[in-house]
Amino acid sequence: MAEQRPSDDGTADLPDTIARLQETDEVTKALLARPQLSLRTQVILGFLVVFLLSLALAAAIIYSTYRVEGKIKFLEIVNDYVFEIDRARRHEKNYFLYSTNLKDALDSVYKAKQILENNIEELTRIIGRKQWEVITKNIDGYEGMLEMLASQRGKGPDGGPIDKAHELAVRKQGQRMILLAQDLMKKERRAVESSLANSRRIQSYSLVILLFFMITTAYLISGNIVRSIVRFESYAQRIAAGDFTPITPTRRYRDEFTNLGLAINYMMLELQKHESMLVQAHKMRAIGTLTAGVAHELNNPLNNISLTAHMMLEDYTDLDDDERRDMMVDVVKEAERAKQIVSNLLDFTRESETKLEPLDLVRLVRETIALAANQIKIAGIKVELAAMDDPPRILGDRQQLRQVFLNLILNAVEASDRGGKMQVLVHPSDEPDHLSVKVIDYGSGIPAKILPRIFEPFFTTKETGKGTGLGLSVSEGIIAKHSGHVKVDSREGKGTTFTVILPVTTLS
Amino acid sequence: MTTQLKVMIIDDEEIVCKRLKPAIEKMGCEVEAFQDPVAALKRIEEQSFDVIVTDVRMDEIDGIQVLERAKSVHAETHVIVITGYAMMALAREAMQKGAFDFVSKPFKPNDIREVILRAAEDLGKPLDYTVSSKNGE
Repeated sequence: MAEQRPSDDGTADLPDTIARLQETDEVTKALLARPQLSLRTQVILGFLVVFLLSLALAAAIIYSTYRVEGKIKFLEIVNDYVFEIDRARRHEKNYFLYSTNLKDALDSVYKAKQILENNIEELTRIIGRKQWEVITKNIDGYEGMLEMLASQRGKGPDGGPIDKAHELAVRKQGQRMILLAQDLMKKERRAVESSLANSRRIQSYSLVILLFFMITTAYLISGNIVRSIVRFESYAQRIAAGDFTPITPTRRYRDEFTNLGLAINYMMLELQKHESMLVQAHKMRAIGTLTAGVAHELNNPLNNISLTAHMMLEDYTDLDDDERRDMMVDVVKEAERAKQIVSNLLDFTRESETKLEPLDLVRLVRETIALAANQIKIAGIKVELAAMDDPPRILGDRQQLRQVFLNLILNAVEASDRGGKMQVLVHPSDEPDHLSVKVIDYGSGIPAKILPRIFEPFFTTKETGKGTGLGLSVSEGIIAKHSGHVKVDSREGKGTTFTVILPVTTLS
Repeated sequence: MTTQLKVMIIDDEEIVCKRLKPAIEKMGCEVEAFQDPVAALKRIEEQSFDVIVTDVRMDEIDGIQVLERAKSVHAETHVIVITGYAMMALAREAMQKGAFDFVSKPFKPNDIREVILRAAEDLGKPLDYTVSSKNGE
């Protein structure tokens, strides 16, 4: 127990720090190794998809409008054509009924032909070259018939009156042309109607699809953000509880939250550094207190050695061998006693890396009481230790837990009246698989109004320069890291009980 | 030499009693040493002492209590208090309560001897002893 390893001195938490740095470094690499898909890119991609969809929709609408426009143009042309043919036929009819001249009829036919020629492109596009040729052939035939009639000047081909059969042929040809044109118009009108209906359908379907896409995009992106925020909320909670494990990758890609994760990992590293500095600062303070006690207690063996040596020197020749031997034995014994007085303190002072190991809590508490023995003796206080036999092991860091119990014991010593007593109890806790250590003093107690604040860092009731206000805050931090907790129960004028509850481990 | 100076030593450290007793006896005093302050107080009731050398910090009864008790039994008694290093507050308290002087641990036998010589002189029972300064000085 009193073994000393001077080589450990001055390397405070160094391997620990390096391990933490390495861990953070590895996590950083893993976090950054993933392909990047930033939230900005996600939003831009989402909007791009919606935009492309809108573009396709607009193009479809423009195209169908263009088609409808073409068909309407066609209808107009055919309409004009039918109008002219109609006129030609009326003139032709008048010619047969009243022998008016045929020139007007032929004019209309020429006009109709011109319409066909002028709009050859539009017409062929819709009805095809073949149909156009059929129409042109029809009108050519009609024209030929009328011209022949005109050249005969009201006589039949044989010079007699116009043959009834020929008249019939002309009329039939005219009628056929009208029918053909009207049929075309009817067909095309139906096509226009169906085109318009199609266009309406496309528009309404597109709107539905667009809406669906927008909702999906919004849901995916906001879902990503919300999930990440929820994740970071849980990180914040566990960090607050003292778990400083670095944040590790959970997704296949990285984004702005990855940077936040990196920043938080760095923050945890710094927090741990500061926390260990606080623990160290508090430990130095405890060492200071203990050192004063040790210095005081060392006076006794030192005084004994000094006294014995002086007397031996004074009476050297008068003493017989036995007496001299007796005196030297005393000197050796007192030197050993001095070593014992400082060894506990040296053991506690020795800095070592944080190491979790199965610990016998009763033994640890007993050692801690021994460590504070000088203070307890100076204050003239009696400490009663009541502990269970063969306690289950707890997993913890010996040095840090000793620091916690030392703090509680020194506080209790300070709170106790001179000549008073305090109790330390180590028993199974009410919580299953937990042990509790109670440090009880019968001092003045803690006023109820400051009781909730005593675990706050830098909260102290002592005058400036006497206390750091770190003791209980550091102790609570250490116990929290051991998955335990500290409770306090105090009654003014009656005393205070601090209870440390720690989980037992199955490791041994 | 009419009467020997009666000196009592109280210290819960065995070695202090063991070594201081012969050292003071060499001055020509009659010395009784007690490790147990309770026994020492009982002895004070029976027998008055000229000088009491007492450690201030002991388990059951401390030096201040011994001082008060000794003074109440025999006001003439000169009480010399042994204090720890840097226990000035206790030393001051002892002086206020009528201690003759105090000596801080760790002390040399001659430190105590010098104070006892002064006490003896003050009591009108001077000792025929000179503190030599040759040994280990």
